Amino acid sequence: MEALSYLVAAVFLPLFPASMLFNRVFARAGDTRLRMALLLVWPQVGVFALALGGSQPPAWLIGWGVLTAALYAFRALVLRELNMWTAHMAVSAWALLWPIALASEDGNALALQGLALSVPFALLAWQAGRIEAVFGAAYAGASGGLAHAMPRLATLMTVTVLAAVGTPLFPGFFALLATITRTAPLVPVAAIVILVVWMLWAWAGARITRGFVVGPPCEESRTDISGTVALLAGLVLVALGVAGVGLSGYLV
Amino acid sequence: MTGGVVALVLGLPLVTALLTQLGASRLGWQSARISIAGATLTFAAAAVLVGLALAGKPATSFQLGASWGFVLFDPLSSLMAFVISGISLVVHVYSRRYMAEEQGYPRFFVLLDLMTAALLLMVCAGDLVTLLIAWHLIGVLLYFLLGHDSSSQTAHRYASWTLLTYRFGDLPLLLAAVLLYQAFGTWSLETIFERIIAAPDTESLWGLPLAETVAALVALSAFARSAQFLLHTWLPYTMSGPTPVSALMHAGIVNAGGFLINRFAPLFVNTDGVLHWIFVVGLVTAVIGSVLMLAQNDIKKALGYSTMGQMGFMIMECGVGAFSLAIYHLIAHGLFKGTLFLGAGGVINEARQDDGVPKDDLYTFVVERRPARRRQPWLVMAGVTLVVPMTILVLAHWLVANDFFQKQGAIVLLFFGWVTGAQLIFSTYRMRTENIWRLMGLMLFSFTIVVLGYTFISHAFDVFLYPDPVFRSSIYAAAGIDIFWFDVLVVLMTLVVVLGWLVTYYAERDGRRRDSPFGALWRSFYTLVAREFFVINAYARLSGWLLALATRINVMLRWS
Repeated sequence: MEALSYLVAAVFLPLFPASMLFNRVFARAGDTRLRMALLLVWPQVGVFALALGGSQPPAWLIGWGVLTAALYAFRALVLRELNMWTAHMAVSAWALLWPIALASEDGNALALQGLALSVPFALLAWQAGRIEAVFGAAYAGASGGLAHAMPRLATLMTVTVLAAVGTPLFPGFFALLATITRTAPLVPVAAIVILVVWMLWAWAGARITRGFVVGPPCEESRTDISGTVALLAGLVLVALGVAGVGLSGYLV
Repeated sequence: MTGGVVALVLGLPLVTALLTQLGASRLGWQSARISIAGATLTFAAAAVLVGLALAGKPATSFQLGASWGFVLFDPLSSLMAFVISGISLVVHVYSRRYMAEEQGYPRFFVLLDLMTAALLLMVCAGDLVTLLIAWHLIGVLLYFLLGHDSSSQTAHRYASWTLLTYRFGDLPLLLAAVLLYQAFGTWSLETIFERIIAAPDTESLWGLPLAETVAALVALSAFARSAQFLLHTWLPYTMSGPTPVSALMHAGIVNAGGFLINRFAPLFVNTDGVLHWIFVVGLVTAVIGSVLMLAQNDIKKALGYSTMGQMGFMIMECGVGAFSLAIYHLIAHGLFKGTLFLGAGGVINEARQDDGVPKDDLYTFVVERRPARRRQPWLVMAGVTLVVPMTILVLAHWLVANDFFQKQGAIVLLFFGWVTGAQLIFSTYRMRTENIWRLMGLMLFSFTIVVLGYTFISHAFDVFLYPDPVFRSSIYAAAGIDIFWFDVLVVLMTLVVVLGWLVTYYAERDGRRRDSPFGALWRSFYTLVAREFFVINAYARLSGWLLALATRINVMLRWS
């Protein structure tokens, strides 16, 4: 039973090469809403499977998780397609839930961290859908200059990428801080690799933002998202920031 | 009352950022007035804060959260808050007209307000989590300020460099925070310092000494923020950002390294050897930054390298134990570099109308070179060169603390001052004026004013920031080395300096010889300097190689 729960968890809190399954499924899902749902639900299944196993995962699985996170963060550096970038970064983030599971006996904390890490990616999937609807593809460089063409979406995308790469005060920051704090005394090398992952995220985030947001103004006019939708998405991000601060007492 | 004022200092920039953003659609460019009014009030509140600290109000901390969210009021935080809010106010006022024709005008002020808030939070942070949050946010906000022009790929490319270097510098601080938390079970800086003083031999991971390990990590973080050698490449290349941002960056943000080392002073006091390599890194940065500055033909890059050299000096001062002098240095540097950036445009504009040359006797005497009829005896001039600056320096130091000879750090600074003074007198001989004694008199008068100002002000800073004389002495003691090796180094440095003077003298006297045996070597060195030691090329090659590797892995794994 324990082995089976770890096997399921390795697919849903993706460990390489099982992580390739999520990327394939995500790429096949054509509908934006389905992609958003996948991003929100997938890690929760993993957390549930891990909780069913009962005991704490062995140290070698933690190492595997950290290396998977590093591999996908590294690969995300050169990705230009927003959906693909989102999926790779999500896998990188979820794989870091393994070290948390090592030090935390509270299953709720793990589920909350999984959710907190997933929400920005779900928002990015929605934004990718909007860009595809306007430009035909969400490809950095080809859909560049969003700051001029679609300023509202550009602002939202920038803040969402910041949330995704673990910028304070978003929950990702506190989740990473908690992960490192708890991993350092148990597996010090893993804590250092997590720091490298954090740096790779920042690099990948800066590259993707530059590819979409920066660029000369488009000659054709594009339809930006409405003020109401922008406000709603903005409120989700504000709520995420507030939740980050709120959760910090629980996590740190 | 103090808590209320601290809350005002930290909260006002956040409130004005929000109001500026909300008012942007209705008020347009007028919304900047909200931001400027907020900056003015913040400066006034910070002035009250520094006034309270000067009046002797004891250091206190205020707790906003359960495990983190501590805000500190002490001489260091109040002084830094005063300086930051002052520079921020000047930059706000300057930007109102300077940025008027730029796109995203209200956004710029919102970002300025947020940056001010993050900087103020950094200096007032009383716990490690708050410090980390502020430290991270400064890097992110600087990225957006530098890349304010959203159509410029170049500006964003260099802004990304800055972000990455800053993130690289964030990580050691984060690791240091985690190690301290693991050792003492608290994020509060006040409690951590109390416990580390009580148990300085605490061990960390792998049996490493906690104080040394954490101090080294903190220093590494400070190096990245203050553009020390090998982590400096972002600084000279971020001139594509708006001028007010350059001013803010060079006057305030880049100085954060000096602040961080001062904030962790109780930790550095308990280390053995960390301050020595801080000194070495500062020294190397100061020398390389100054050399690179001289070799630039682009004035903006030259200014960038000038800042790098200054940051090297600031870190070097920390390395010799003169922590408060580093704070004085960062404030002085911030004011003059900020003035240079903000005044450059106006000066160029005015120079187009008028050459600005004063037609008075003093200017004519100093600038117009008229050779003297006869030269003074070289022995007299050499004596004056070497003895006069030393006398002025020793007397000035003796006036503020007659035991300064007991501190190696003070000797190092004295030595540096002496070399600078002697160099100054030496260079006046090249001016070949008809009345050398008048020129010397003017120069010595200026030198005396500078030395007295520096000595008295730095002493005042010392007493204000570190009122406990035992603690002040212990910082110098932590930076000290074995007296034998100290003497050897002083003699060696004197020989190097004197040799340098002699080489310069003979090179000037004999002129340039084409058949010099060192010609090829010199040209190679010049190439090396002109190409900025190939550090940027090495980083570009490394990042290119990493990106190519990532692409190959992606292809191999079929992008999933």
